[in-house]
Amino acid sequence: MAGLDYFEVECTEDGSDNYIKVATTVLQDHNLLGIVEGLHIYIDPQYPLFVAAGFIRPPRSVIKISDVGNVLLQDGQATIAVGDETYLAAMLKILWQKLGHDNVDQPDRFTVIIKNTQIPKDIRDWVVVDPAESLFKDLIYAIQVIAPEGFKVRRENYGKNRFSYAASENTLPAADVEKIIADRFARMEEALK
Amino acid sequence: MILVPVTYKGGVYRLDEIIDYIEDLGGYIVQRHNIASEVVLQVLMPKEDIRHLITFSRPLGGEVIESPLVGTEIAVVIPSLEIHHLPHSACDVAEYLRSHGSKSNMLGMARGFGKRIAQMNDEERDLINEHDLAIFVLGNFASCIEKKFPKFRYGLTVPVILTGGPDREVLVKQTDPPVAGYVGGLGRFMHRTQTEADIHRLDMVIDEVKKVIEARRQEIANDPLSVSPARLQALIKQELPEIEEVYSPSPIAVQLNGLRVKLSYPTYAQKVRDLVIEDEVKVGDVADVLPSRMRDYILIRIKPLSETNIVV
Repeated sequence: MAGLDYFEVECTEDGSDNYIKVATTVLQDHNLLGIVEGLHIYIDPQYPLFVAAGFIRPPRSVIKISDVGNVLLQDGQATIAVGDETYLAAMLKILWQKLGHDNVDQPDRFTVIIKNTQIPKDIRDWVVVDPAESLFKDLIYAIQVIAPEGFKVRRENYGKNRFSYAASENTLPAADVEKIIADRFARMEEALK
Repeated sequence: MILVPVTYKGGVYRLDEIIDYIEDLGGYIVQRHNIASEVVLQVLMPKEDIRHLITFSRPLGGEVIESPLVGTEIAVVIPSLEIHHLPHSACDVAEYLRSHGSKSNMLGMARGFGKRIAQMNDEERDLINEHDLAIFVLGNFASCIEKKFPKFRYGLTVPVILTGGPDREVLVKQTDPPVAGYVGGLGRFMHRTQTEADIHRLDMVIDEVKKVIEARRQEIANDPLSVSPARLQALIKQELPEIEEVYSPSPIAVQLNGLRVKLSYPTYAQKVRDLVIEDEVKVGDVADVLPSRMRDYILIRIKPLSETNIVV
């Protein structure tokens, strides 16, 4: 799959082709192709058991106010000329929260003016969005969509650069799941060396 | 007189003449769709008169296509209304049926997901049995379908088409007793059906549905209905003006051997029974007017000739 250095769907019976397609589409739809480095999915429809283990790339850097628009400090007021509207709402929320609703004005779609207050010197470096914060939530949600629907008994783990997910409709066989996950991580590490 | 289903596609220019012509030939307009400046009419009309309609509509650029799915109501049954099955694959199948003239309803079960834990309740079963045909859109694994499908088919009286990820041969082999139709290679997918291979799979569903519907029509022709469902639809439209105030896309859904009328059963059932079709024959004489499990709608089941000895 484009974007992933390692991708494999392992299945104890026919049907892995369909899951390759399902996983590709879901990761693409959730914009996660660039973030996941390796993904191994193991499916045993007999038990039934679904296990996913994966590595993620270092998350993208944080979005600062200077990334959202150009900040001009002049005559005791700050004018932000918005260049990228994607994070405008998040930026306004932070400005309102920190500087007060009355002091932040948006006369038109692409201009934000801050006045009547002390403008902090480091305003350009204020963090608007930290992609790492919601990354694992998004990732686990995407895996949940990939997994067969009835698998309501779940266990999910995420650490520094790796995540694992196991699900079934029956009680999870903890020892087996641990073994499968450890084994697949080892295989992936080997392949990604 | 046997009515056959056709679709008429044409512009709005002199459309009223086309509609009059169809009605003069003894045809019924089951459903009408206005799409921008194009109109699609789904029509049930006498077979021998189709060529007359073709001749009549040719100068107007109209197109007459035989479409066996017109006048059928089909249930597309999926394990649940979760993102795992929606909007693709279930919606794509339902929409493709719609584009071929059928009225399709999507039915997501409350607890249809999973293998061991899958179940279907009696309301869902009764609702499926109100349709002409049910298509089960199941998942990718043969062992899973083998285990869960018997739980769904229990108590179903309508023909069933089973679709799933495994090959058709596998589905046929593991389904005992057999169902009316099978489509393999479909399964659960999350992408839009837009490639040729995807469309081909949907075409296979349509072919299977056509086969089953044609067999069912043949069965009905052996013991004809006392009145045509399309004729009853026209009668209800004429006699019960309240139907015009129903904002469903199809206030009266025509089925192979009945109708679903989207009016309240407690208020309108007796009025429907008392409608006079011809001379002394009332709707209640030739059909059962029953409460539907869908909201409080009315379900009409037309009795065959052998039961009533009347054909109107």
